[in-house]
Amino acid sequence: MKTKLTAISRLKPESRLKLEPRETILEIRNLRKVFNINNAFVTVLDEVNFSVKSGEMICIFGRSGCGKSTLLNILGGFITPSSGDILLNGKGVSKPGPDRCVVFQEDTLFPWLTVKENIAFGLKGRTTEKKAFGEEVERFLSLVGLSEFRDYLPREISGGMKQRVALARVLILKPKVLLMDEPFASLDAQTREEMQNLLLSLWGKLSHTVLFVTHDVNEAITLADRILVMGKDPGRIREEICVDLPRPRSRDSSAFLRFSRKLHEALRD
Amino acid sequence: MKKRAVQTDNSDFQIPHPAFQILPWIIPLGFILLWFVVSETGMIPTYLMPHPAEIGKTGYNYILGNPGEGAYAGRFLNDAGASLMRVATGFALAVILGLPLGIMSGRISLVHRLMGTTINALRAVPGISWLPLAMIWFGIGIKTTVFLVALAAFFPIYLNAAAGARQINPLLLQAGAMMGVKRLRGTFAILLPGAMPHIMTGLRLGLGISWAYLVLGELTGVPNGLGALIMDARMLGRIDIIVVGIIIIAVIGRLGDQLLTTSLRACFKSARRMP
Repeated sequence: MKTKLTAISRLKPESRLKLEPRETILEIRNLRKVFNINNAFVTVLDEVNFSVKSGEMICIFGRSGCGKSTLLNILGGFITPSSGDILLNGKGVSKPGPDRCVVFQEDTLFPWLTVKENIAFGLKGRTTEKKAFGEEVERFLSLVGLSEFRDYLPREISGGMKQRVALARVLILKPKVLLMDEPFASLDAQTREEMQNLLLSLWGKLSHTVLFVTHDVNEAITLADRILVMGKDPGRIREEICVDLPRPRSRDSSAFLRFSRKLHEALRD
Repeated sequence: MKKRAVQTDNSDFQIPHPAFQILPWIIPLGFILLWFVVSETGMIPTYLMPHPAEIGKTGYNYILGNPGEGAYAGRFLNDAGASLMRVATGFALAVILGLPLGIMSGRISLVHRLMGTTINALRAVPGISWLPLAMIWFGIGIKTTVFLVALAAFFPIYLNAAAGARQINPLLLQAGAMMGVKRLRGTFAILLPGAMPHIMTGLRLGLGISWAYLVLGELTGVPNGLGALIMDARMLGRIDIIVVGIIIIAVIGRLGDQLLTTSLRACFKSARRMP
């Protein structure tokens, strides 16, 4: 596992685009979710079908209230779907587990643990070898650039740093799919861009599969291999846009603006 | 622990400014001064409130005197030891029962539903009402006292543990679940630390009320203990001994609270690091 990781990490992020995505890792079939709100049945998701290939970066894009967060919560195992299947490597999944880790929008770090202890939390009790455990924690501390802040408590660091910790504490578990629920939405514009770059560079090094929920047009185009546009009432995937731009993607390029127009249009109708 | 570059919210409290050290003692010292003045000027007669110097003498004799020199000389160690033993036993029983039940009731609605009514009904019964029953059940002596202490300390410990477990951010538990944390580890690594500020409040309230019920339990004619001392002195009209007893209970109560908070902070990160 480790040799594979280091081999990939030598590749630059840009060159990963040329790596043809491999086998299908996640498959969603006929997913449907009906909520009972005050005795009225509201269909939040209907006929949601898509599949994700290993190592892909997918953005689920849509306006607020279209059910994209519900979809992510179902994939994370926090909400049970009304019907439909979620297949991870061909096997059905339902309960939350470290194979589908989530980075939440809100601060969900453990406030009584330091940065380092938060990152080590999930790994604890898994690795028996103490030395390897320590090295792994150090590696992820430095991957997200927080080595100097290892002994700080969550309340002593900024919002952007908290999300770095949140990212590191799940990446260290080597999840099959990383689920991100508008993780940068509450950050300022500059920090958000930094975090997007960090995510891309980590993705280049670790080549994990990412499902990223966002309502931000630029964020979706900056990050995604493919954008799944969700429509409302009921929430379903209305359009799929492949972003075949080389990375890093400049926001001023005409190609970027073309995609931006396309996404804005998709939102309108 | 490493020194932090970023100032924390409570950084004001970490700076040992000299004036800040004196602050807690201003009220007790002022009180003693006032007492001294009213005694010295004769505003309050000594049969209502003895002179502080006399209390000092009685206290010295009670604590350090040789047994046999006077009615109460040198009884302190015996009394305090007996009382501490009873408080510790009763409080420990309350923690053993109250903490797990409280945590469960805070997280499991079935347990909450099952326990709620009973607990709240029992909680309304004043401790002194239990005294006659406890004496019939357990006789006169240590058992009655321990029963009363445990009963009284149980409620604040239970209720605060339940409140603490209930108010935990559900996203923290979700985060644990998605990182593969199983139930047992989740309880000790997420639930307990998350509820720690409430738990700590409950334990402190419980320990405080333990002392109140200790005196109640010792009113029943046990030969030793601080409560027995006070009751005994009342019968003999020794108001100076009563005041000494009250002061000693106040001091031990304060030290006990300090010991409780310090040891919780020493044992648990969550108690140490929570604002």
